[in-house]
Amino acid sequence: MTLFDRVFGGNDAVYGLTEAAIDKAIAEHGADKAIAFPHTAYSLPCYYAVTGTKVANLGELKTALGVVKTLMTREKRLNDAFMSGVATALCAEFIEVLKYIDGATPYEEPLYGHLADATIRELGVPLVTGDIPGVAVILGSAPTKEDAVALVKSYQAQGILVTLVGGVIDQCVEAGLNMGYAVRIVPLGKDVTSVIHVVSVALRAALIFGNVTPGDAANLMKYTFERVPAFVNAFKPLDDVIVACGAGAIALGFPVVTNETENIFRVPKSLIVQEDVDKFNATSLEARDIKIKITKIDIPVSFASAFEGEIIRKGDMQVEFDGSRKDCFELVQTKELTQIEDHKFTLIGKDFDEFEVGSKNAISYIVDVAGKNMQSDFEPVFERKFHSYLNCIEGVMHTGQRDMIRVRISKATFEAGFRAKDLAEVLYANIKNEFDAVVDKCAVTIITDDAECTKLRHDLAIPAYDRRDERLTTLTDEAVPVYYSCIMCQAFSPSHVCVVTPERLGLCGAVSWLDAKATNELDPQGPCQVITKERVIDENLGRYEDVDEAVAKFSQGALEHVTLYSIMEDPMTSCGCFECICGIEPCSNGVAITNREYAGMTPLGMTFGELASMTGGGVQTPGFMGHGKHFIASKKFMKAEGGFERIVWMPKDLKDTVADRLNKAAKEVYDIDNFTDMIGDETIATDPETLLTFLTEKGHPALKLEPLM
Amino acid sequence: MPFNGKSGKFNASINAVEVGCGEKAIKLGGENVLPFYTFDAPIENSPKVGVMISDLGLENEPAGVKAYYEGCTTMADIAKKAAAMPGADFVCLKLESADPNGQDKSVEDCMAVVKEVVDAIDVPLVIAGCKNVAKDADLLTKASEVAQGKNAIILSAKEEDYKGIGAAAGLAYNQKVGAESAVDINLAKQLNVLISQLGVAPSNIVMNVGTAAVGYGFEYVVSTMDRIKAAALSQDDKQLQMPIITPVADEAWNVKEAMASEEDMPEWGDQEARGVGMEVSTAASVLASGSNAVILKHPTSVATISKMIKELM
Amino acid sequence: MALKGLDIFKLTPKTNCKECGSPTCMAFSMKVAQGAVDISKCPHMSEEAMATLSEATAPPMKTIKVGTGDAEYTLGGETVLARHEKTFVSKPRFAVRVTPDMDVDAALAEANKVDYDRIGERMHAEMVYVECNGDAAAFVEAVKKVTGKGKTIVLACKDADAAKAALDVCKAEKPILNGADASNYEKMVELAKEAGVVLGVSGADINELYDTAAAIEKLGYKDLVLDTTGATIKETFATTVQVRRACLAKEPDRTFGYPSIVNLSKIAPNDEAMQISLASVFVLKYGSIIVMDTMNYARGLALFGLRQNVYTDPQKPMKVEPGIYPLNGGDENSVVLTTVDFALTYFVVSGELERSGVPCNLVISDAGGLSVLTAWAAGKLSSTSVSKFIKEEVEPKVKSRKLIIPGKVAVLKGDIEAKLEGWQVIVAPNEAVQLVKFLKDLQASGEI
Repeated sequence: MTLFDRVFGGNDAVYGLTEAAIDKAIAEHGADKAIAFPHTAYSLPCYYAVTGTKVANLGELKTALGVVKTLMTREKRLNDAFMSGVATALCAEFIEVLKYIDGATPYEEPLYGHLADATIRELGVPLVTGDIPGVAVILGSAPTKEDAVALVKSYQAQGILVTLVGGVIDQCVEAGLNMGYAVRIVPLGKDVTSVIHVVSVALRAALIFGNVTPGDAANLMKYTFERVPAFVNAFKPLDDVIVACGAGAIALGFPVVTNETENIFRVPKSLIVQEDVDKFNATSLEARDIKIKITKIDIPVSFASAFEGEIIRKGDMQVEFDGSRKDCFELVQTKELTQIEDHKFTLIGKDFDEFEVGSKNAISYIVDVAGKNMQSDFEPVFERKFHSYLNCIEGVMHTGQRDMIRVRISKATFEAGFRAKDLAEVLYANIKNEFDAVVDKCAVTIITDDAECTKLRHDLAIPAYDRRDERLTTLTDEAVPVYYSCIMCQAFSPSHVCVVTPERLGLCGAVSWLDAKATNELDPQGPCQVITKERVIDENLGRYEDVDEAVAKFSQGALEHVTLYSIMEDPMTSCGCFECICGIEPCSNGVAITNREYAGMTPLGMTFGELASMTGGGVQTPGFMGHGKHFIASKKFMKAEGGFERIVWMPKDLKDTVADRLNKAAKEVYDIDNFTDMIGDETIATDPETLLTFLTEKGHPALKLEPLM
Repeated sequence: MPFNGKSGKFNASINAVEVGCGEKAIKLGGENVLPFYTFDAPIENSPKVGVMISDLGLENEPAGVKAYYEGCTTMADIAKKAAAMPGADFVCLKLESADPNGQDKSVEDCMAVVKEVVDAIDVPLVIAGCKNVAKDADLLTKASEVAQGKNAIILSAKEEDYKGIGAAAGLAYNQKVGAESAVDINLAKQLNVLISQLGVAPSNIVMNVGTAAVGYGFEYVVSTMDRIKAAALSQDDKQLQMPIITPVADEAWNVKEAMASEEDMPEWGDQEARGVGMEVSTAASVLASGSNAVILKHPTSVATISKMIKELM
Repeated sequence: MALKGLDIFKLTPKTNCKECGSPTCMAFSMKVAQGAVDISKCPHMSEEAMATLSEATAPPMKTIKVGTGDAEYTLGGETVLARHEKTFVSKPRFAVRVTPDMDVDAALAEANKVDYDRIGERMHAEMVYVECNGDAAAFVEAVKKVTGKGKTIVLACKDADAAKAALDVCKAEKPILNGADASNYEKMVELAKEAGVVLGVSGADINELYDTAAAIEKLGYKDLVLDTTGATIKETFATTVQVRRACLAKEPDRTFGYPSIVNLSKIAPNDEAMQISLASVFVLKYGSIIVMDTMNYARGLALFGLRQNVYTDPQKPMKVEPGIYPLNGGDENSVVLTTVDFALTYFVVSGELERSGVPCNLVISDAGGLSVLTAWAAGKLSSTSVSKFIKEEVEPKVKSRKLIIPGKVAVLKGDIEAKLEGWQVIVAPNEAVQLVKFLKDLQASGEI
């Protein structure tokens, strides 16, 4: 028998029962007899939602059954199976509504049956906010009543709303479980048809919260799939009727997890066999992509930003981990989803209570993360947050990064019971909370064993850092498909937009292309947006239609054109938080750069402050441009005008800071040795004439370049 | 040769949002010109003036406000009287008593007040929380339910609590969502996007983009509103075309200029006149910058600002 | 379109002669482009270049100077319609209206009661608006009473003889003669020229105002202000906005490129709240001189605050003076709180502290006028800056050794404690609104 046979068979059986029941009711009450569920404005909510037709009496119900019949096509295609599933659900609704005839109350404590509209409005809000992260539909009888209770309680602890149908209700009653809407455990009914009451909730939610037009079946299913985080746990044995109902659930986007192995057909993400009932919870959450928010980090001391600046002195220290003496490191690694068990903690080596008080030791922590949207480029972004996470723990101090870290734990915090697993918990909870857009699973390993730390540092961590650094150096503007906008500064500088490319980080020096990318992925509505670079106008200037459009959009029309690589033609604007400003120095045919820290005069005749007032505020000033220090040695630095060999002057401190990188780049690009020796500074000249003399003496290449203007 | 002025009419316009029901319903927004630029194109819906009342009663109010409400003993009385204030278009009920740092009244107690006010008046209603994010999430969700059928503005949904309040007000109970951000065009836009993503129709959103009393960083308020209107009208930015409502009374009456007593500052003269000065100056300024509604409390302010609007329309 | 600095530079002699006062021709060109200096400061510019540049760099709206000495004020010179586009440059000035039938001395004395300092700026009604009601002799008497009082005088008088007599009294103080209209402008121009004063122009409507201004320009007189007051509030607003918009348009209409006078005593007589409301509107929307019945604190506290806010340069935040500000009767034993010198931060924080009622000392150190996080990121608020200020300025004056720092810079706690021996550093909440509860809790627990 195929899955199609089972669904069609189950559907046919329910249809037969429904037809018989309706006929019997008409015979008994007449076709004009009114039928309705109590406290709803949506008639028979499921039928109304799917077809847009309201049903008020038995005669109309009979007509409606005819409509249901048209859904029951019998081609062996997936769609036919789904539609038969929906038909089965609608039949169930018809059978259920008959129970309410004459104002009957077919469901008594603890059973709920049909739920009122008011309940849905009330339920809808926490569903939208994620306070109720999911809706579980548990169907049939668990292997034992202990299994039943354990499963229900596991969902309850996560804030998930649990609805129960069939034998599981008796199991919970027998075990004395406190049930009811208030504790988010809702026993619907013992007949399998009572499952329709939870479907009814989902579909009315679509009508009320999704503004879906009744009868617009496509949008209805889209809504339930995207917005109603429900799933089904069906215990074996599964008969054809349940399989048919399951097809209906899947049609609405609700995966079915079962422990049935006989005569079942696995459908990835939709019909999942999980023999171990203990794992129903994890399997279901993963299948429905439900993430549980961690509201409180379970550690014995406080966690708050107020502790960030705490310093732990030697005398107050229980134990210290010191990367300058011992092999230590911190590392985030991306793994496949199947490779990680979420929330797993592993300790290799001694725990904090096994160290001598005040001793220096080795520590390493590896945070494994996995997620459908995870990218290895985010690893350093997460890793940089460790510093702040660990410092926010009361009585824990953290400095440094990568394999140069130092961690101190105070005596008071140790005495409060703080151990390695708590440190892991802080990392786990923060990563899961802050990066929930990309992290589905996270596991933490803490290593305090000296030998293991040494081994992993050299075999695992250092190669990983090297790979990342390598990636950074090979990351060029040409090598990436998109750039990013950054408008973090618009509060101060309303019309400024930064275009962040790999070779040109934000002019504040703080936002790299990778940062912007991560910001965008983690907060898609946030300050960094994707800028495509498909419609190039002039490659040399770095002029793109896409970039112009983005800049116009994000500056609200204040700025229409920018080039990425020119300071003469539509140079990029600045907010005012630039580290450096460069401006053309006409006498020497080059540019002078000055930086924020240097308050003195430049050969341009203007100080940093004067230059800043002209170039800040999102104003485009050809010949002048704000930028980050890092940009100075970039191959894209005023590339359109000949590149960084135009630099004729910099304050001495700045020159020293960038000397290594600039000299290396100059050698590589222009074959010039010790380029910085040719560049003037304030000890040589602060006026253009003296500077020119100096440059001529040194044979500065800018003097021979094409005139800048 | 006569003056040849170019019209500043835009092709885009601010959303028109209806608040309240029946004859007294009002419309906020709808214009396609800058504030009060009726010489560019007619403005169909003039800006509106609301009267703020607090569930803390009248005890801390200035004499002129107390005098106006003289004889009122219940919140229903106060609400009715507020609705009848000359120049008032709507009433704003502020549930201040819920503040955990103040009286910390229970949500249930506050709902009784909401019910009382809802039943007492037929003018459009705005329900404002106590400004405590955690409490407001619950308070305003419930208030949305209690005020069903009023088509009220729920003030407000912030970045921290927009989901619950947005879903309750904008989806479950058919109210208008007041989206509150802190004087920053990008935050205002982001919040509108997020609330829209919940499924709330843009026609059910109004913005409170934040304000300050004049003299207290008010330049940010002016520039934020100027930029929002420019983006909405000249750039046709749909995510910023929601009308703006600005609660002025709280800010204006809470600064030294309005709070210092005559004893403390004898040279400053009449305290109430100073408060009215701060209130009307702030209100006129936010209206000139693009607010489609202001919320005030002093009868003189309400009368003056509503007259000014009429004169300018 | 305005010329960019580089375009101007190309026309300069490029000799870096420094005679213009700038060290290089480039620096000079950039300043001209910003409108900070006039092109004529360069003595070596070719005539041809000068002609090209004067036209292109001439501001769309004229900058007009009125008054003398301390009462000299600059009006106009605006380049943008909204402050966020660049900045507004010339604050509107408030004028107190007097008429010959009033007790002018008393009226001035009343208005002069408002004279205070707010973040380094003197706040008072700078001008007096004397209206002639037909009796020339009485008008002259009134003008005499306002002359020599340190206020810039605006003579509202359409009668040439009366105006001449009044000018004879006060022209040394460079008053404005607000009296030209379609019927008398030729005479008025002559008077203004002769006395060397700015002429105010009015019209029955915006078209007549335009034609009259154009006619006066033709007579070669360009020291003008435009009285945009109409018959109604609506007309006044429409005219004032349209005048400013025309001159700052992409293709500027310079006939309207002058400051404005808005007379609220005419369109909202005897209504204080309405005058405050409208004055606020015109501070934002293009009034240069705003005439009101009087000045008092109810008007001034609001209007001066508004004006100070709106006329700050968006790129130069308002700063408060570093120092110790005792609040709620704080004395040497009261707890110390510190924050940055950004005026907005100061106002918000001091407001909340006042509301808490807890006696304390608010210590403001120089943080470049930036907000807390910005100052911290820029290195202007650091453990060094704070501890240095505390050591040098606070320790000699305050005995308390408890310092509360902003929650947003909690990371400074340890470093500050290390640098300030004997001090206990307490971290405040992140937001100012949480301060009231925070301080009250500290007080209740006996911490402070």
